[in-house]
Amino acid sequence: MGLLTISRWELRRTRLSFSRKTLALSLLLIIFTALVSFFVSHSGFRINDGIYSVVVTDPELASVIETDYKFRVYVADGIEAKDLFEHGGFDGGFDILVTGENISYHRSERSTAALDALDKAVIRYDEARLLSYNDLNNTFPVWITVKNLAREQEFKPLSIQKLPDFEATPRTTRSAPVETPIEVTIRDNPHAPSAREVTESRAALPIKEKALSTPSHFNPPIPFKSVVLSFLFIFPVFFIAQFFSASITQERVRRRGELLLVSPVRPYEIVLGKLLPYLLLSLALMGAIAVSIGGNVWMLAILLPVALMFLSTAFLGALIARSFKELTFILVFLSVTLSGYIFLPAMFTNIHAISIISPMTLVVRLLEGEAVTAGEYVFSTLPFYLVSLLILMFGIFIYREEDLFTQKPIKSKLVDSIQVFIERVPAPLFFLSMALLPLVYSIQLIMIVLMFNLPIRYGIIIFILLAAFIEEIVKSAGIYTVFSRKLSTSTTRNALKFGVLAGTGFFIGEKLILLAVIAGIADSVFGSVMGIGLLVFPLMLHVTSTTLASLCLRYFGPGNYMGSLILAAAVHSAYNLYLIRGVLSG
Amino acid sequence: MEKTLVLAIIIQLLIASFSSLLVIGLASLFDPAALDRYSAERTEIGIVGGGEVMKFIEKSQVKPYFYSDLSYALTDFNRNRIDAILVIPPVGAYSSEIIQLVLYLPKSDIKGTLVTLQLKKPLEEYEAFVRDVRSPRIGFKPVRLYVDEAPKKTSTYFEFIYGVLIPLLVFTPVFISGGLIIDMLTEEYERKTMELLRVSPVYFSEILNGKMLAAVIIVPLQALLWLSLVGLNGIEIYNTWGILLLVSIVAAVIVMIGAIIAVKYKDRAISQYLYSLILIPVFLSGYLFADSPFNLVARMSAGSAGAGSLVYFLIYGAVTVPLYIYLKNIQDM
Repeated sequence: MGLLTISRWELRRTRLSFSRKTLALSLLLIIFTALVSFFVSHSGFRINDGIYSVVVTDPELASVIETDYKFRVYVADGIEAKDLFEHGGFDGGFDILVTGENISYHRSERSTAALDALDKAVIRYDEARLLSYNDLNNTFPVWITVKNLAREQEFKPLSIQKLPDFEATPRTTRSAPVETPIEVTIRDNPHAPSAREVTESRAALPIKEKALSTPSHFNPPIPFKSVVLSFLFIFPVFFIAQFFSASITQERVRRRGELLLVSPVRPYEIVLGKLLPYLLLSLALMGAIAVSIGGNVWMLAILLPVALMFLSTAFLGALIARSFKELTFILVFLSVTLSGYIFLPAMFTNIHAISIISPMTLVVRLLEGEAVTAGEYVFSTLPFYLVSLLILMFGIFIYREEDLFTQKPIKSKLVDSIQVFIERVPAPLFFLSMALLPLVYSIQLIMIVLMFNLPIRYGIIIFILLAAFIEEIVKSAGIYTVFSRKLSTSTTRNALKFGVLAGTGFFIGEKLILLAVIAGIADSVFGSVMGIGLLVFPLMLHVTSTTLASLCLRYFGPGNYMGSLILAAAVHSAYNLYLIRGVLSG
Repeated sequence: MEKTLVLAIIIQLLIASFSSLLVIGLASLFDPAALDRYSAERTEIGIVGGGEVMKFIEKSQVKPYFYSDLSYALTDFNRNRIDAILVIPPVGAYSSEIIQLVLYLPKSDIKGTLVTLQLKKPLEEYEAFVRDVRSPRIGFKPVRLYVDEAPKKTSTYFEFIYGVLIPLLVFTPVFISGGLIIDMLTEEYERKTMELLRVSPVYFSEILNGKMLAAVIIVPLQALLWLSLVGLNGIEIYNTWGILLLVSIVAAVIVMIGAIIAVKYKDRAISQYLYSLILIPVFLSGYLFADSPFNLVARMSAGSAGAGSLVYFLIYGAVTVPLYIYLKNIQDM
């Protein structure tokens, strides 16, 4: 009951700050944005305009090259052209000289790039011209039909052999090139195309399905769609999260929340009550977007964890920031990381299986009319659900006067929330390292995304070092809190006990996650580094390294936390490196 | 202040590392063939059929294996022995039929992308060969240009670095500064200190100018940092001072827009929201015309434009005048 009342208050508050004038203005701006993006999509992205300059002797050739905006073309006769090319004179100098049909170029980066661009421009020009003949058999004689067949990915152990799944790709098997509708305007005389026509000719080729193309249009799947989609969905949530965090920070700065805190309403009711309107609004907006681009309401099941993640991190940001400026930076930092996590893998939709760690990939797949299995749903959304719940929980722990209305440093607020956890939960160290696991898991997934772009050998080593470090932080965070806040006496016996507890908790949590996620990357090299694999040794490892950190804290004091962490992480990564030595050497 | 600046730099580092990761994504968006730089291994392709196209495939990076029948090839494909299957129809260049190749690729697998990349070039050459045979029938003459020893270099990388990466890097601090000025001003309002300071209007305008100046000045400093970082990576940057000047001018425009919003609305969340809404079309319109600040930075950094760009500096600089007058007017209200 209290929860809903808080929601109503919160809703009224935001509505008040949103005057009618602001709404009208934002509508105007959105229309303006739509207009600009219409123009951009219509005339194409004007990037690199005039970046190369060419001097030619043949005026006819000049008009050919001018069809590409990247070139600035000058016509001059033989000797003058050569002189211009060799001595510059024009700002920046000339990259390419075409005397008659012969090309000269400089040895510079720009000049060689210009040569390649010139080649492409001429090919594009010729294709645009060929198109106007309206005779496919003689102008575009070679066509490629691509059929994508599902098969086991290479890094998985070979399981039951599947027969090629022809039924799954009916679109591609049906279409023979001759049957495709040809939508070329018939022209009596082939003519030289203008710059605009050359740019548009790509779209004008009678290719209705991406499964069919001529060699020059034969390209790997372009990630553009996934990126635009992710942006479309994330954008509104990003704003709503901004408003949510601003509302909380405002209460903190103006100290208006104090009254609420002394009322009989529980902190979790306040927090969830405030969260609810924002969450519903994000879902409504996302649902509207999904429906308007041809999706269905079921996509909300995929988008819900994304919205939760943005809102909960914004909430935590609002709690730990000491000023609006700090809040802005924390929020930008969080949203850049989150968007990276969501965007980057989505770019590999249809390219690599790793892409399903981003929920956006699933949205793209649903939009393309493909099915999403329950396992894939769990794999890509579970980290989002767990991490947001975790963040909300720890945020609610410090939703109290001493943390809301004081200027404590960020670290001490985080330690505060851990302290509350330790005081409230039985066997806290055991469960703490288990509870923080989703966080570790998500961070490691982000790192996999990052490492995937490095050469695999270095990627793995860097990943091992960072992964070990993060796991050690999580396992020893509770022990650090206990020792630094003097929650228990600092004895060797305690240090040993805590180390064993935290290490075992982490190990059991890890195995539980394994049960939830037997898909995707679990069998890849990265997966085995994440500790999914053998049983006995990982348990010993987690216990040993954490106990090591614990003992360090006992003997050298909580002041040397960093040193203890590095030592534990070193032991941890040494073990992991040994484990995958085969991959590294082979 | 120093702490927020450190945070700002960390955020930009993060953005930079993300955008350098985007190199793969965006470069493939520009020209998927650029991904080829990342693939040295040869893909193994099952071939069913044969003919003129084999001449081009044998010269290329792919490793062909021949099969008499598609079903044998599919069996090997499913056992991961080959990465793709190409079915070639028995149609020659001299016939007049369309040549329909069928390519089987593994779904959602990076191998499929590699095959596509490595097959593109031989297939293009094959297409050119068939065209050479067939296009005289319709009287088509291709544009031909000749060059001795063409270097094997693609323009994609060059165009991505100068056309996308560098403009993005030097303009990120501009957008951050716009948000910063909103925070600096609205925070004053939120904490009500402005009420005290506003007693004397002259004093307020001094504060406003001081804050705006600070927000603008940090922009060329960060841009310089970026340019030198890029320079350390072996990429030659021309016209550094010109770029810094242009970035400062644009920063002045954006910071003034931010300040106008903050002074008008005084509420942080609303101001930031409107600022971002304005920023998107402004950012997009940078890709609309040839002499936009983005393209100017691209041309200047690549060294393909020099003093000629100064005219546009004046035009963009002129935008600050009405903005400043407007800001003066509303702050006195």
